[in-house]
Amino acid sequence: MTAWIVLAGLVVLLVASVVGIFNKLVAYRNRYKNGFAQIEVQLKRRHDLIPNLVETAKGYMAHERETLDAVVQARNRATEGLQQAASDPTNAEAVKGLGSAEGALSGAVGRLFAVMESYPDLKASDNMRQLSEELTSTENKVAFARQAFNDAVTTYNTYRQSFPAVVLAGMFGHSQDAALLEFDSEVIAEAPKVSF
Amino acid sequence: MATDFFENQDRAHKNTGRLVVLFALAVCGIVAMLYGLAVVVLGYPGQDPYTGTMVGSLAWWNPELLGQVTLAALVIVGGGSLYKVAQLRGGGRTVAEHLGGRLLHVETGDVLERRLLNVVEEMAIASGTATPPVYLLDEERGINAFAAGFSPDDAVIAVTRGCLEQLSRDELQGVVAHEFSHVLNGDMRLNIRLIGVVHGILLIGIIGYFLLRSAAFSGRSRRSGDRGNSGAALLVLGLGLVVVGFLGTLLGNLIKASVSRQREFLADASAVQFTRDPNGIAGALKKIGGLAEGSRVEHPNAPEASHMFFSRGIVSGISSLFSTHPPLIERIRRLDPAFEGGLAEGGATARGDAVGAISGLVEADAVGAAIDQIGVTSPAHLRYAADLIAGLPAPVVRAAHEPYGSRALLYALLVNRDPRSQRTQLEHLAKHADPAVEDETRRLLPVVVGLEEAVRLPLVDMLIPALRQLSPPQYDVFTANVTALIAADRKIDLFEWTLQRILLQHLAPGFEKVKAPRVRYASVDRVAGQCQVVLSALARAGGRSEPQAVEAFACGADALGVSGLALLTRERCGLAPLDEALFALSALAPLEKKRLLRACAVAVSADRRVTVSEGELLRAIADSLGCPMPPLLPGQSLV
Repeated sequence: MTAWIVLAGLVVLLVASVVGIFNKLVAYRNRYKNGFAQIEVQLKRRHDLIPNLVETAKGYMAHERETLDAVVQARNRATEGLQQAASDPTNAEAVKGLGSAEGALSGAVGRLFAVMESYPDLKASDNMRQLSEELTSTENKVAFARQAFNDAVTTYNTYRQSFPAVVLAGMFGHSQDAALLEFDSEVIAEAPKVSF
Repeated sequence: MATDFFENQDRAHKNTGRLVVLFALAVCGIVAMLYGLAVVVLGYPGQDPYTGTMVGSLAWWNPELLGQVTLAALVIVGGGSLYKVAQLRGGGRTVAEHLGGRLLHVETGDVLERRLLNVVEEMAIASGTATPPVYLLDEERGINAFAAGFSPDDAVIAVTRGCLEQLSRDELQGVVAHEFSHVLNGDMRLNIRLIGVVHGILLIGIIGYFLLRSAAFSGRSRRSGDRGNSGAALLVLGLGLVVVGFLGTLLGNLIKASVSRQREFLADASAVQFTRDPNGIAGALKKIGGLAEGSRVEHPNAPEASHMFFSRGIVSGISSLFSTHPPLIERIRRLDPAFEGGLAEGGATARGDAVGAISGLVEADAVGAAIDQIGVTSPAHLRYAADLIAGLPAPVVRAAHEPYGSRALLYALLVNRDPRSQRTQLEHLAKHADPAVEDETRRLLPVVVGLEEAVRLPLVDMLIPALRQLSPPQYDVFTANVTALIAADRKIDLFEWTLQRILLQHLAPGFEKVKAPRVRYASVDRVAGQCQVVLSALARAGGRSEPQAVEAFACGADALGVSGLALLTRERCGLAPLDEALFALSALAPLEKKRLLRACAVAVSADRRVTVSEGELLRAIADSLGCPMPPLLPGQSLV
């Protein structure tokens, strides 16, 4: 009879540790989802600033049609990418898609600022100074939030890949690593930084 | 009825004792039932599979079996409880996420979410605690809320979507005040223990359920007569366990109810005390009554946390004896004796006054002595908090509410006036902090330097929620920088020390394992030495001369009622010994802490003049002991 009790005790321990692993996976996933929400707020703000930027620039550089259009298109694509990723941050495809869309946006804005060099009036205007100030500040916050998100994703991935979680992760719906958020054309921190 | 913070803490401790006793009784009851079940099952007349002879029933008294059943029951129930408590050890965050909560970010654009966050922030500053994270239960249309966590430092507040959309600002404030009173009174730790304990009891029913299902399954797949008996035994065992589990759940609910019901009335009373406005919380309760969904919480995990909610979250046919909340009508009537029974329709009033200011209810009565305000707050404090936030420059408020800016703000607060050490500090930041943080710090510096002294510490309290969102590597860099900045001028002044203590107390628990002192002290006599350090530090603060300090110390020691204490030299009551003393004193019993803090206040007021830094030191000491003290209002006395 005692053998049964010992066996039962062992089974309980086993079940407890399995459940513990499950809960830890869930907790780490929630952490990085929270981290994503943080960066979402900053990216939204970044997206909201772009139309202002384009409007202000249009007044001075009406002939630079292509550059301005490129920025607008990239911004729209980035907004879509953000919506998709926000609806499910666990979807690696969506996150990677967001990364490249944001990278493209940074590239387009960078090119816009490069072109702006030939329009000193525009550079010096109050509006533009204020906008680029806000953009820089937003870029910094985005970078910071992205770092936090990637840290949380790394913690999740490391735990998921380590023993004993790796054995059970697939069964519990954690079959994939979460994707890190990389903005491909890595000019993000510098793109809107205009040197006057 | 004004309830004293320390008495409430004491009561919460006593309730824990009651909980243990009730749990022990429940386990005894379960063991008895399981034993009876075991005797019936094992004594089931039938064929012994090995010898083929008929086996009769067992005698009723069988000590060996009793021992085995007891052991099994203890293992299951104890194991289940310990496991659950361990799971919830993650603190308030774990519970909130367990119930489907989503963390609200202060930068949210949604005007209703902003309003909730503003209400919570004001309440936090007004009661002298750090702003807790706020979670939103998106999917819930009912009106409900809860506070969870092991201590005020890892507390979270969660609110349903129904609350957000249906309640006016005053009513929201009433609900938040109710939850804050739970946070301040130490009810939450008891809640988490309740969940754990009852879970263990539930486990028996769960096991029975599994056995039942496997018995049904094996019964179907095996037809041979040989197996019939053991199949039947399994069935009976499973069924029996389910019945025992069901009874156990009833017992569990009884335990939950007996501990939580009285507490709800007290929390309602505290909420009124905080806001002096019974209409806020009464209005919320009336709206719950009038709403079709009421306060129902749909999430599958809700039943185990039912006792934590603001109002009844689970509608069930259980009689009022087992209910975790007093009846709605009863609660409304206690707050609003004129209530006739008509319940309000859920309002579209919410959006209407979303942009409105706090109701202009001005109370002319004096705010009591600061010591009596510990763990409690008042409309005067709420107004002070709202004014303080409104008076902060916009860049500071913006920076305070998100992680990137709040770090820069904290660094800016630590930057010294002296140009040489300032240069050292900024260089350190340029080298070791994240890029662009040094720029941001420089940019915020002129604004921060212009802030009033009294505003600095509440500002640090406001920064805590944003700083909590740092990832662990970011947090490590942050604390390293803070330490380096403080060390730059080779001395620690009072402000730096207080700031470090706030960070240690409120921020560190989210990132590191913070050790709790091992022993519980029942009386100040056991910690006389540590009390001596604290009183000496206070007596010497505020730039007093030696004779003044001696007198201040004497007043304090007198008030404490412990003989044989003398003022210590400057080295013996410096900041490092003070840290150690506070660590030990945090394990002091609540009513003794009250004695100590009163003595501290007497010592500080001995020269009839309380400077801002003395006040801040006293508040920091109270905070370190886990007794949040609201900001000192101009003209307010300490004792």
